[in-house]
Amino acid sequence: MSSTIIATAVVVLAVFLAGRYIYKEKKKGSKCIGCPYCESCSKIDKDS
Amino acid sequence: MLLNAEPGKTYTVKEINTDDEEMNSFLFRLGCYVGEPITLISKKKKSCIVAIKDGRYNLDELLSSAIIV
Amino acid sequence: MRIAFAGNPNSGKTTMYNALTGRSEKVGNWGGVTVGSKEYPIKEEYTGGKEVVAVDLPGAYSMSPFTPEEGITSEYVRTANPDAIVNIVDATNLSRSLFFTTQLLELGIPVVVALNKSDINEKEGTKIDVKKLSEKLKCPVFETTSTEGKGLKDVISNAIELVGGGQSAPYVQADINLQNKAEVDAEDRKRFSFVNDIVANVEKREMLSSETTKSDKLDGVLTNPIAGILVFAAVMWAVFWVSQAWLGPLVADWLVGWIETFQEWVAGKLENSPAILSALLADGIVGGVGAVVGFLPLVMVMYFLIALLEDCGYMARVSAVMDPIFKRVGLSGKSVIPVVIGTGCGIPAIMACRTIRDERERRATSMLATFIPCGAKIPVIALFAGAFFAGAGWVSTLSYFFGLLLIFLGALLIKYITGYKYRKSFFIMELPKWKMPSLKFAFKSMMERAKAYIIKAATIILICNTVVQIMQTFDWHFNVVEEGAENTSILASIASPFAILLIPLGFGVWQLAAAAITGFIAKENVVGTLAVVYGLTAFIDVDELEMTGGANNVAMATGLTSVTALAYLFFNLYTPPCFAAIGAMNSEMKSRAWLWGAIGLQLGTGYTVAFLIHQFGTLFTEGHFGNAFIPGLIAVAIMATAVILIGRKTRAHFDEKYRLHRDGKSGAAA
Repeated sequence: MSSTIIATAVVVLAVFLAGRYIYKEKKKGSKCIGCPYCESCSKIDKDS
Repeated sequence: MLLNAEPGKTYTVKEINTDDEEMNSFLFRLGCYVGEPITLISKKKKSCIVAIKDGRYNLDELLSSAIIV
Repeated sequence: MRIAFAGNPNSGKTTMYNALTGRSEKVGNWGGVTVGSKEYPIKEEYTGGKEVVAVDLPGAYSMSPFTPEEGITSEYVRTANPDAIVNIVDATNLSRSLFFTTQLLELGIPVVVALNKSDINEKEGTKIDVKKLSEKLKCPVFETTSTEGKGLKDVISNAIELVGGGQSAPYVQADINLQNKAEVDAEDRKRFSFVNDIVANVEKREMLSSETTKSDKLDGVLTNPIAGILVFAAVMWAVFWVSQAWLGPLVADWLVGWIETFQEWVAGKLENSPAILSALLADGIVGGVGAVVGFLPLVMVMYFLIALLEDCGYMARVSAVMDPIFKRVGLSGKSVIPVVIGTGCGIPAIMACRTIRDERERRATSMLATFIPCGAKIPVIALFAGAFFAGAGWVSTLSYFFGLLLIFLGALLIKYITGYKYRKSFFIMELPKWKMPSLKFAFKSMMERAKAYIIKAATIILICNTVVQIMQTFDWHFNVVEEGAENTSILASIASPFAILLIPLGFGVWQLAAAAITGFIAKENVVGTLAVVYGLTAFIDVDELEMTGGANNVAMATGLTSVTALAYLFFNLYTPPCFAAIGAMNSEMKSRAWLWGAIGLQLGTGYTVAFLIHQFGTLFTEGHFGNAFIPGLIAVAIMATAVILIGRKTRAHFDEKYRLHRDGKSGAAA
């Protein structure tokens, strides 16, 4: 039973963290999640 | 014309005629203008490699035929 | 305090910027890698605790812009009033670089000159008298090697010291009428002769640049229209072979073993838990994400090799050899750079189109560049190569060069639609000096890409897989779908209508349709979704050190033949890459019509390619056309008609416009 609880917690936590990361990144204005160059990518948009 | 020149030799630019003023002044900034030396490093049927000042450039047919030496 | 970094293209501005700020902006050994400005605080160890922001600018040869990115630079230093400018000068090409330097010195902003690439000069025996140069230019000059971080501290501390102070210019342009071309020309000439005088005074060369060297001979071969293309093909093949058939899978096998063990362990722990939970965690999250992460070594090796290629200077030669071909289809040699960058990721490729002067060429290139398989498509290619083609390295090479072919055909199509009129298109590409690629740099670039890949897998892919798993588990009444009734799941009912459209392509089942659809969010999703819907993970076999065993399950489960598998693979490769890339296209094209044209073109291309491969492949292997040949043919015919109609319409407009310009009377009458 305990494994069920742990597993449920893991699923919820993983999805929550992933969702929060994406939300944060999107709010920062980046387009591609995790991309090391994305800051300069979005920066270019502002310039033009 | 640059394309008729001999590879390995240094020439003096006599005329630049691209019919495109911006292109002309761009070449100028690289150091390619009338009276300046230009070295033909190698050439092919449709392009050539030249040395202008201390840089190497690949020029296409159109551009190399616009540079008269 | 803001310090701007300005200098000629490929003088190493971004390399210095990265060293000072600890950022990892894209660098490469050719001119025009940086196309927009960037800023970031400089590390305190260089500034002595002061807060200093570095601004990296695109390369420029002078203050009067020729290319769009040169415009960004000259506008920035003119209007944004940086507190100081660090002028990065390519020490191996002093005579050209100082032209821009003297212009910068006239602005009245303190300038510090960084004589970069001084290590190359040392090797070639070129000596520059730094003290004399500094006297002549009336500004501090320092020798630097930004790849090793040498001399950077001097440059920055001096720049900070100078802020607020004045600096007198060594050369001031006479007060002339800037509208008068002859006067401007004469002035620029004077400036150049001033520069030439300085160079003659401070520089001693052992080797004249006009001498033909070994590297010139190599360039001769690499830019030869036939030999050059063959070498390029061989190089790309080697990159793909090492990353996807040799070194990559070797590491991947090991990694996949661990992932599999972990998944089994999770599944074992959840034996007594509700089936939905096990499905969600073990199959959906661990299995789906694991399937994608399993390909990480392949992607890492590829990025490592690409970084080496970008660093050594080969890319400039590639663009030189490709120029004639690109010109023939209505693009220019400049279009080659985006195509080359596209091997890593489509978005910077689309951004790189900004260096193209002609608007039509620029838009055409940005809509075609993503036909080149990017890093995110590697797992998809590797999966199919492993499952259906015995892990062959040629599948990626084929995908790459087929992508190039599609770019040519697409360019011809765009040329036809837009009614392209011949215009002079010049091509000049600086061939940078060859350099030993830095392993450290390649390793760093690889690790960054790996990090990005893992983050993507743990966020977007994870969520997509979870959603797919849930949609697959439940039907619309939120009852758990029973075994044998999979077609009633939410996922099946959403994907099925799309699957019908795919029947003529040979893969009209909802599972494959669902994977293709999630692929638009991120291409790696194709792999993740396939893993979830077919309940597979071990795409790479552990025991045989080859990507066959586990992947063979894919062949079994999907029921695809080699022909339909290739059709499905190419469909995924050549349809629109991902939403992020479409967003990038949107901001680059600045035209709704072109954006929709691009999406339409990519969808149409993917569909047509898959259709042709499936139908004719089946004809060759089985002696008859595949399923639904006629409906597919009709679909392709409709697309072709649409292209013709749009082409007619735009060309009619084009002619009208042309007439208006030519003949005022008929224009007024109309």
